[in-house]
Amino acid sequence: MFFSEDALREILAAALAAGGDFAEIFIERRDITNISCEDNKIEGLITGRDQGAGIRVLKGDKTAYGYTTHLHKETLISLAQEVARVLAPGQARELVLTRPPSPVEFVIKERPDQVEVKRKVDLVLQVNSAARQVDPRVVQVVVGYGDGVQQVTIANSEGVLVEDERLRCRLVIQVIASDGQIIQTAMETIGGHKGWEIFQEVDPLEKACQAARRAVALLTAPPAPAGKMPVIMSGEAGGTMIHEACGHGLEADLVQKQLSVYSGKKGQMVASPLITVIDDPTLPGKYGSYRFDDEGTPAQRTVLIEKGVLKEYLYDYLTARKEGRASTGNGRRESYQYRPIPRMSNTFIAPGEDRPEDILRDTPHGLLVKRMGGGQVNTVTGDFVFEVAEGYLIQGGQLGPLVRGATLTGNGPEVLKIIDRVGNDLGFALGVCGKDGQGVPVGDAQPTIRIPEIIVGGLLPEEGKKQ
Amino acid sequence: MKSEKEYIDLARGVVERAHAKGALAEAFLVAEESLEVEIRDQEIEALTQAQERGLGLRLIREGRLGFAFTDDFNPASLEELVEEALENSRLTTPDEYNVLPPPSQEYPDIPLWDQEIEAIPVKDKIELAMEIERQARAYDPRVKITESCSYSETRYLVVVNNSLGIEALYRGTQCGASIYLVALEGEEAQTGFGFMYNRYYRNLDPVKIGREGAQRAVRMLGARRISTRRAPVVLDPYVAVSFLEFLAPALSAEAVQKGKSLFRGKVGHQVASPALTLWDDGLIPGGIGSSPFDGEGVPTQRTPLVLKGELQGFLHNTYTAAKEGRSSTGNASRASFKSPPRIGTTNFYLEPGILSPEDIIREINEGLYLTEVMGMHTANPISGDFSLGASGIWIEKGELARPVRGVAIAGNIIEVLKNVDRVGNDLTFYGSTGSPTLRVAGLTISGS
Repeated sequence: MFFSEDALREILAAALAAGGDFAEIFIERRDITNISCEDNKIEGLITGRDQGAGIRVLKGDKTAYGYTTHLHKETLISLAQEVARVLAPGQARELVLTRPPSPVEFVIKERPDQVEVKRKVDLVLQVNSAARQVDPRVVQVVVGYGDGVQQVTIANSEGVLVEDERLRCRLVIQVIASDGQIIQTAMETIGGHKGWEIFQEVDPLEKACQAARRAVALLTAPPAPAGKMPVIMSGEAGGTMIHEACGHGLEADLVQKQLSVYSGKKGQMVASPLITVIDDPTLPGKYGSYRFDDEGTPAQRTVLIEKGVLKEYLYDYLTARKEGRASTGNGRRESYQYRPIPRMSNTFIAPGEDRPEDILRDTPHGLLVKRMGGGQVNTVTGDFVFEVAEGYLIQGGQLGPLVRGATLTGNGPEVLKIIDRVGNDLGFALGVCGKDGQGVPVGDAQPTIRIPEIIVGGLLPEEGKKQ
Repeated sequence: MKSEKEYIDLARGVVERAHAKGALAEAFLVAEESLEVEIRDQEIEALTQAQERGLGLRLIREGRLGFAFTDDFNPASLEELVEEALENSRLTTPDEYNVLPPPSQEYPDIPLWDQEIEAIPVKDKIELAMEIERQARAYDPRVKITESCSYSETRYLVVVNNSLGIEALYRGTQCGASIYLVALEGEEAQTGFGFMYNRYYRNLDPVKIGREGAQRAVRMLGARRISTRRAPVVLDPYVAVSFLEFLAPALSAEAVQKGKSLFRGKVGHQVASPALTLWDDGLIPGGIGSSPFDGEGVPTQRTPLVLKGELQGFLHNTYTAAKEGRSSTGNASRASFKSPPRIGTTNFYLEPGILSPEDIIREINEGLYLTEVMGMHTANPISGDFSLGASGIWIEKGELARPVRGVAIAGNIIEVLKNVDRVGNDLTFYGSTGSPTLRVAGLTISGS
């Protein structure tokens, strides 16, 4: 706890007296450790602390926001007054703060801040060696380890007081392979709202070898083909597609501003009846998991699309208030320096009934995506792209040769409507999602699915030969 | 804010403390104040004011690097910071090229500070944002939705101090304004944007920003896919800048030394079309990427990277320069006080040619005028391979004929650089990177 309950009440009261009809304070302390290894060297070992507070005051649809790194009660009171003055006049009010119960408990077995730095360094070095031993064509390995402990106190004039701790670990392995002529790369990541135990649950050395084998295999892989074709996305590919094709367009701020193709479509069929989409921050241990969002609202599971019908959007406090309803607990922010906005947590397509191997057997030709990379969407048009980090040609219902990087580009609503097979598997991936300049950790997942046709941004055969 | 002297003393104190413990030390301190105004439909939507500061301490002991940062300037926290950095240096790998730069004779005097900006009332800045939105709406009645429209400014101070005697400070201002909007026609919606960054408030032009945003959206109404083909592609300056930003990491000496650059071993070779000349210039008066010194206190300079298609060299910081026994090019860059210096560009731009963009388009029988790409962050700067979502305007018989969306372009950045056969006279900076219009002889466009 950074400040006493009395001090928090005093800061909020100072804001309300100066202006606005809602006041909130978000105080944060984040301790991080980052270790980087490259060129067989531990190049960086960084520890650090960020702390600060953000004060938000609302009046109707207007927001005033201020933040500072100075955590003194007097500084915060004068910042609160300064911020609120923009929305003057205010009205003094009595405040009572109460703590809502946590909707879920997360078990952390071994806190990263209790793990000796030497063990973290050793893990990074072992991962580096494992990747290098795979093949002499591995020319460089970059390993990045990071952990962070974020402590937050959130209080607002509706009487909410939440203190929470978020704990995350991640390991990123990038392997660079070269045959002297061309260079190819591959990446693997491990991470979650988890402690050090994550590295017992997922074998980092195996991940290192996978990345190395893929980077080497890509050296001799032909470029992906160009044009429209059937695409199977494997369950282990991650959920970038659903995150981009649908998730962003369901964020209530974009919906309310008519900036989403899904605006005004609640209750309508927006996807194939095989498709159910869920956002769930309460899943234990995923990268996008949390107990309370960054406005102090308890986390909840939200069904966004059920059997193709649009059921719900993702709300934060402000967008919920505009519609006179409750937040879905999706108000998130990168840090105290940002205003909360509606964001995804762990977003996924629910598993269906088909066996993944049957979906492949029933597909005579096309592209199988085994791993997705990053992506981007224009929510207004619904057009999206995402990267294929590992893709194979499908030949006669069988897995064919590996092909080099391509992106898939399509239109969210169009693609969701034509998905014709949904597998009974589910694979999660992790990422940092960017919106309005704010990055937040997210998880995404999907079962194996088939899109009958989508544009693959590859090369024409004659160029493919040149390279 | 504290005074300049207080910050200089604070950085010096931390360095001296670490030095007394037997380490070479360097403090990098930033303090800033910022303001952001967001408006929508001629109403203020949000106003943010902020103060931020922090210090990163890098030290070297027996060739080992230690780094720690904090934004808490209490004496106890600063003491802890020194101990943490020392502790962190125990576990890193020794490297003889871990060195700090010595003090310089003098730093260039580059104007970076807008005397007026702080005194201009907030209501004028709100009015500037509102004027952008009015201009956009007035441009065409189909411009109906404002996604965001904002003005922002930062006033900041940077201090570098090291135990070899560098003690330097500069102050700068930066401001920017932007609009992201939607044009509607029937069921169709298209997006557009306009933005501008500058050191000086008076140089921001709301009319230009608003009209550009509106034009970009309106001209895309009616966009369709096209079929898969290979065709000449004209990159507008905004798209060309995205490609330059994607290329920049390959010109860092660190990437070269680590085998991660496609330009490794290519100095003196023709790596691009003879039409291309590429500079990194940290000295441009008022440039967004300008500063008297870099992230470790080395004076900035003007560095040729590619002259008429021939690769001249790479960007260095003190570490990569020591490794090659040469001097730094003043390109040590810091993402923030939270990380040690790496290598980055300052003002990074392609020299303009003589043709107007209209002249370049007029010569093309069939091709794509590319105005937006999607997914540039997924392109691979190490291999140079890219595959991007793309939209733009189809060129027919030398005229911009009809809008195109939902296609993909793919290739390798080297292939693009070698195939640039026309360079426009319209050098435009987006932030610290600038490019004129470029024509690429042929690229694969994946469509329906």
